[in-house]
Amino acid sequence: MTTIESNPAVPVPVDPDHRRQSGPRRRPMRRHLPTALWIVGILALTAVVLYPLLWMFSASFKPNAEFGSNQGLLPENPTFDNFVKVMQGIAGIPTWKFFLNSLILAIGAVIGTVISSSMAAYAFSRITFKGSKILFAAMIGTLLLPFHVLIIPQYIIFRNLGLIDTFWPLLAGKFLATEAFFVFLMVQFIRNLPRELDEAARIDGCGHGRIFLSITLPLIKPALITSSIFAFIWSWNDFLGPLLYLNSPDKYPLPLALNIFNDQTSTSDYGATIAISVLALLPVMLFFIIFQRFLVDGVATQGLKG
Amino acid sequence: MFRTLTRRTLTGVAALAATGLVLTGCGGGGNEPAALDTEEQITLNYTFWGNDDRAARYDKAIAAFEEEYPNITINDTFTDYPSYWEKRQTEAAGGGLPDVMQFDYTYLRQYGDNGLLLNLEDYFGNGVTTDAIDETLLATGTLEDGTFAIPTGYSAWSVFQNPGLLADTGVEPYEGGTSWEDYDAYMAAVTEAGGGTVYGGTDTTQRIQDLELKLRQQGRELFTEEGELNFTQEELAEHWTEGQENRDSVTVPQSKLEEINPVSGFGGSITTSEMSWSNFLGGYLGDSGAEEITIVAPPTSNPDEKDLYRKVGLMQAASAQTEHPEAAAAFVDFLINSPEVGEIFGATLGIPASETQLEGANLEGPDQAVKDYLDSIEDRIGDAPAAPVNGFGAIEQTFWDLGKSIGLGAVTPEDAAKQFFDEAAVTLGN
Repeated sequence: MTTIESNPAVPVPVDPDHRRQSGPRRRPMRRHLPTALWIVGILALTAVVLYPLLWMFSASFKPNAEFGSNQGLLPENPTFDNFVKVMQGIAGIPTWKFFLNSLILAIGAVIGTVISSSMAAYAFSRITFKGSKILFAAMIGTLLLPFHVLIIPQYIIFRNLGLIDTFWPLLAGKFLATEAFFVFLMVQFIRNLPRELDEAARIDGCGHGRIFLSITLPLIKPALITSSIFAFIWSWNDFLGPLLYLNSPDKYPLPLALNIFNDQTSTSDYGATIAISVLALLPVMLFFIIFQRFLVDGVATQGLKG
Repeated sequence: MFRTLTRRTLTGVAALAATGLVLTGCGGGGNEPAALDTEEQITLNYTFWGNDDRAARYDKAIAAFEEEYPNITINDTFTDYPSYWEKRQTEAAGGGLPDVMQFDYTYLRQYGDNGLLLNLEDYFGNGVTTDAIDETLLATGTLEDGTFAIPTGYSAWSVFQNPGLLADTGVEPYEGGTSWEDYDAYMAAVTEAGGGTVYGGTDTTQRIQDLELKLRQQGRELFTEEGELNFTQEELAEHWTEGQENRDSVTVPQSKLEEINPVSGFGGSITTSEMSWSNFLGGYLGDSGAEEITIVAPPTSNPDEKDLYRKVGLMQAASAQTEHPEAAAAFVDFLINSPEVGEIFGATLGIPASETQLEGANLEGPDQAVKDYLDSIEDRIGDAPAAPVNGFGAIEQTFWDLGKSIGLGAVTPEDAAKQFFDEAAVTLGN
């Protein structure tokens, strides 16, 4: 985020004794007032938006029996028990295992997406081959296809391949550039790069492989980073895919593990659910904080040509 | 974002696909079952819904089974209840149902009628022992074509009370099994003494079970034998209107309940009583943190009518597609009958349906209280209604949602009744 800097062109009132003087001295006040109001307004909105997060954090210290009786922000009897219980693991599986599974899936998704989507995007934007227009349209068409339509056929394919209860159904698609959104993003990015760069490289004797590696890839870095961040977060939050394809609890990623403390048909441990939710949020927040500056860069440079 | 998926949509799609299976006609063969091979190495997949506590118990039960049948290995998997059925729907459509499944009565007809479940009747007396199970309970797993699931346990509709909370108000507890007027008077007294923080109970017309109880007290059922609604729109509107007086001044306001959702008013200790299935006792104890919760019979307008029934909750079923039906049957039998399993689970899957398992269960504390309650209402227990119609889960939820909307004042009982009949017509396919 950019910080709000005071405009050096505007004289800042320094001496309080001069405050009573009328005339031009009051103008800066008038200019600052709207800014202050904006900031107050934005802070108030931020507070509203962040309140659920704050509530969740605070509620993770509530004992389970307090969830029905105390909806307030602060716990009446703060306790660490929820975290202790969560860290003991679930059904004999240590908690770090769920984090590890989530991490493997998320990092696998990032690697797969970056490699395969950038290659597909290069092909679509730089190579003219037979049927490239139709294939491109078909790829964009898959964006319009709701995931639900594909679930059952996909499930049948992976089942017949004997890949149920492995990470493959969740990762294979990522390595085959099935995420049309990322391919499209990169295609648009590459189309904006001047072709002269490619031509210069060709004169120097580069083939497609070398042009892709040495010219295109370094120039589409912002798009790669944007894609990585989205791929990471989507994979981290994905619930349906792992639910359908993973059977062994020791292969569960976090979103599935979160649900284990909840059973509406017998007893639910809301405290533990919230505590592990807090823990599950930390890595993704950390990831976002570290990469958000690249994300902003990526979005900002997308409009830049050449 | 493109990836935002609503789980509800998925269920819909998957359900559609599952229905498609009926059209393509997946039926099981009726060959004479072979005896269980004790040499061959067999691996069975088992799945259940539940929390970490139930998972730990199943781990023990599976270990016990594997000890008794060394050649069979059980791989188990579990999720929470809503995801559980999403996953099953996809598997049913994709042909990958696990060999053995924890099952729910509500879904029995949907899966059983579609030929997705193994007919366990073929194994009665030849792998599955049914002698220890009450016949009426066993019959709950029976559809036209056979018996597709066996209940692990049962519960019954009941009134829960929180004596600790009640003592603060100074009102005498409701004794149970008397007239509706008595129960209304009790709720009104508590609400008056509670001064806006504690209420006597929750709207007693809100859930479909409330209507069912009322109908059964008149000797009727919710559904006809053909699976159609057995009451009129006017009767439903009247049913909801009857609760208006209580909603206005006695029962806990629906807006307060929405605040503490998913904990119920009783679980959140803002009402001293609530009607629900008797197996909710454990959950209520956990939610409310109360030291003691008592359980009595629901009020009745007709003490001579057998209005209550044993409600089957959890069941065990096997897939029609399993490669090792005799091993699957052996595992179902073990889960249903083994005293060892009874000891491991206690009453957490309902009060055990099988006598041998019940003996092993050594019920104590709250579980014993539930069992005592079930014994005490013996006189009022009649025949259980037929297996829920296809789509009963959706109908039950619609009824409850509309009941809540009436409580919030968002819809009148007449409009709600119309809406219920419209939606039920779609669900029931009329």
